[in-house]
Amino acid sequence: MNGPLGQVFRALVYVLIGLALCGIIFELAGYSAPLMFQSIAEGAFLSVRAWQNSLRWGLPLFLTALGVVISFRCGFFNIGAQGQFYMGAIAATFVVDGLSGAPAFVVIPLTFLAGLAGGGLWALWPGLLRVKSGTDEVITTLMGNFIATLFLVYVTSGPLKDPSGTGQAASSRPVAEMYRIGAANAVSPAIIAICVLVGIGAWVLVNRTAFGVLSSLAGRNPIMVVWQGAKLSRLGLAGFVLGGALAGLAGTIEVLGPIGRLSSGMLPTHGFTAILIALVANLSVLATAFVAIFFGGLAAAGLYLPVLAGLPAAAIDIINAAIALFITARAWPKRLAGFFGQRRSAP
Amino acid sequence: MDDALVAILRSGTPLVYVTLAGVLAQRAGIWHLGLEGLMIIGACSAVVGTVQTGSLAVGLLIGIVLCVLASALLWFVIEILRANPIIAGLGLTGLGLGGTDLAVQAIYGSQASVTAPFGLPRLGPEFGAFGVLSVLVVLMPFVVFGVWVLVRRTRWGLQLTACGEHPFAARSVGVSPSRMRLYALCLGGVLCALGGAELSMGSLQIFAYGMTAGRGFMAFAAVIFGAANPLGATAAAFFFAIVQALGIRAQLLFGDKVPHDLLLALPYIATVIGIWISGRLRGGARAATAFGELRDY
Repeated sequence: MNGPLGQVFRALVYVLIGLALCGIIFELAGYSAPLMFQSIAEGAFLSVRAWQNSLRWGLPLFLTALGVVISFRCGFFNIGAQGQFYMGAIAATFVVDGLSGAPAFVVIPLTFLAGLAGGGLWALWPGLLRVKSGTDEVITTLMGNFIATLFLVYVTSGPLKDPSGTGQAASSRPVAEMYRIGAANAVSPAIIAICVLVGIGAWVLVNRTAFGVLSSLAGRNPIMVVWQGAKLSRLGLAGFVLGGALAGLAGTIEVLGPIGRLSSGMLPTHGFTAILIALVANLSVLATAFVAIFFGGLAAAGLYLPVLAGLPAAAIDIINAAIALFITARAWPKRLAGFFGQRRSAP
Repeated sequence: MDDALVAILRSGTPLVYVTLAGVLAQRAGIWHLGLEGLMIIGACSAVVGTVQTGSLAVGLLIGIVLCVLASALLWFVIEILRANPIIAGLGLTGLGLGGTDLAVQAIYGSQASVTAPFGLPRLGPEFGAFGVLSVLVVLMPFVVFGVWVLVRRTRWGLQLTACGEHPFAARSVGVSPSRMRLYALCLGGVLCALGGAELSMGSLQIFAYGMTAGRGFMAFAAVIFGAANPLGATAAAFFFAIVQALGIRAQLLFGDKVPHDLLLALPYIATVIGIWISGRLRGGARAATAFGELRDY
């Protein structure tokens, strides 16, 4: 059970447990579980349109999840992907809004830089607090999420407010057509190209560079890495900032592409889903790509469920939460272990 | 002045109950990030149970039972399946948020909120401005004291602390850390149900989706801020409540000069600063090794 195949198997089993638990909860609540699973499959994967939707939701998740993979591999529990995603989107919107009128080949690269910097800087302060004074990053990044969410509400109803907004949910002015990298609620070749490039870059970084090897060791055994003369704090900081920058990149893509504007409370579960993807993929870059498309499909189906099948969209939240509950489990219950002929690891 | 005190007690009490639950879990050695989920389960079942059965006691009881069951599930996942407590806790929170949403939709259709016909018993008009406070507010100091006695003045509390600080030592004198964690989590489940009930039934008598709004995480921060000491953590919870009340007050005083949403962020900023200072005073927090374990299956 300890090889890569065993890990994939284990992850699949827990994903199935999550799905089953959700099905049971649905049946108890008086809905039809088979109808739910059928609708999810239809909404996620059973047509070309569904695949496009899955990619539309999955690709930004893939970028954020890559960020989570990198910082988790360094051994730092950066659960602030949501806040970093928001901060990247906010910084990108400031640039694209402030430079409106300038030629696109100037504005778009600057917007991307701003998004990367926004996410990276929002990850920098918890990183600094962690490596300089040992402040626990779980709490600081968690609080960072709430602060960023409130900041998003503030900028969309203050400095970046769309004056012609209807007042429903506060949002910024729509990004001008010339700066868009994709149509509304759709994938585009540009977004796919960015994701493929970043994915390859992340794979090389994690598997083929000194940083990748050292950070992976640091996540497993920090003391050994220190004894070998590597700077743990520098590795950790780099992990934080890279992770934040990738979340910020995802935010930028959402603003320039599918969503096309900044709106308050947009994609509130993005960061949590990204963490889940990284864990289901067992922190492997390649696996992250596939898992991200799967969870993108779930997200797409979540929009489809209430409209076409009349089922509550909360189904997707429950599936995600149930998977999160079980995905990090490292041991089977004793009886099950006997059943599968597997020895239980040390207590 | 009385009004300010009432406002602080009202917003602080749910936080204190949930914080005490976090203290018990923290003492037992579990970072409890499922507090938010337990709290909303408590808040939801108090209202829905009261509406469906017409009895407040049954509503509260349903909340307590569900929270204890959810806590036991978390314990099973963490201790028996040996999952990472932080991710499992976040999963429980998601399950609570999604599950209450689903329950409300299943029972009442696509309705944004549920209103209970009556709330928790109040003190009554003879207490003046304090008459609007519910019995759970009055009970709160005694619960805080009770948890303090339990944790700091009993054999059980000492064993519990040992399980968190040095499980090996606890095991060597015949105390099962795993079982102690189950007790601590289940007791915490009861407290979370009470905190959630106070939130939904104490002043508003309403349940709305996501009404906990991060209070469970704030309670967790108070646990860390207060070094898992019942009294310290209670003080931290009240500190957050006071900061929140000050934010609302400042908005009334300064009006448009200070943006409202940034004031709402004050408790979170205060938490970060508080954790940072307490970390500096007491030396670093968890070692960086904690997460690495997760990957070595």
